[in-house]
Amino acid sequence: MNTTLLARSALLTALALALSYMERFIPLDLLVPLPGVKLGLANIVSMMALYFLSFRQGAAILVARCILGSFFGGGLTSLAMSLTGGLLAFLVMAAAKRAGCLSVYGVSVLGAAAHNLGQVAAASVIMGSIYTFCYLPFLLLVALMTGSLTGMLASWLFRALAASGVDFGA
Amino acid sequence: MEKDRFRFKRADLAAYAAVLLLAAAALALTFGLTGREGEFAVIYKNGEELRRVPLSVDQTFSLQGDYSNEVTVKDGRIAVTHSTCPNQDCVRQGWLGDQGGSIICLPNRVEIRVVSSGEADIIIR
Repeated sequence: MNTTLLARSALLTALALALSYMERFIPLDLLVPLPGVKLGLANIVSMMALYFLSFRQGAAILVARCILGSFFGGGLTSLAMSLTGGLLAFLVMAAAKRAGCLSVYGVSVLGAAAHNLGQVAAASVIMGSIYTFCYLPFLLLVALMTGSLTGMLASWLFRALAASGVDFGA
Repeated sequence: MEKDRFRFKRADLAAYAAVLLLAAAALALTFGLTGREGEFAVIYKNGEELRRVPLSVDQTFSLQGDYSNEVTVKDGRIAVTHSTCPNQDCVRQGWLGDQGGSIICLPNRVEIRVVSSGEADIIIR
């Protein structure tokens, strides 16, 4: 790994951490009273790594973000939740991107849905209960909206980045 | 990199449709788990049944674990009315009276599930 790539990965990790910490203060669950509802802003960073760096860098940034994030609050339970949700979302997004026919919107929406699916599955294992899946339909509908929002933000960001001429690629 | 990957495409609608379909399928699959008014609340701690409380008796009790949940039963419904857990998701989930519904406090590893009296294991207990 060269120094430039290391610096960019570190930058994106810090950005993802800041975004996931920041969105705790956005009371989205007052609007949608379901556990685990959030905007998923840190997912934009995963997408940025996928589109501008590589699969491996994106995965490394994601794992680093989840582990460091659990230090800032949450602990082991939230680590398990964010890792399963985050990794599933990342894999689905990587596959969706590779398929080639979707734009960042489609990739983002599928990622948000996969994130919720992973979290519900993790919660089901942690709680030893299948009933957590009752939240899934509603969480998926929320994922359509939050995924569209993060997809839009990614669309703006990526187009601006491409237009700026800055070579962010690895 | 082709820039059209950064703009909304018609193909993206397929992703939306796929998520909608998954939501509908999940709803259909879980529909059998939820339903009418329940008569008992079953309290699970670490996935194991701790106790059953009838929703017909108004009461308040607390569940101790890593954190403490104050549970209130009133007018046939149940809620976590106070909790020392960090995210307060359990409190925000509010009042629950329908069978199949559940309140979850992940930090305290507590699940409260409302069931009907028709389930055989309640009669035995």
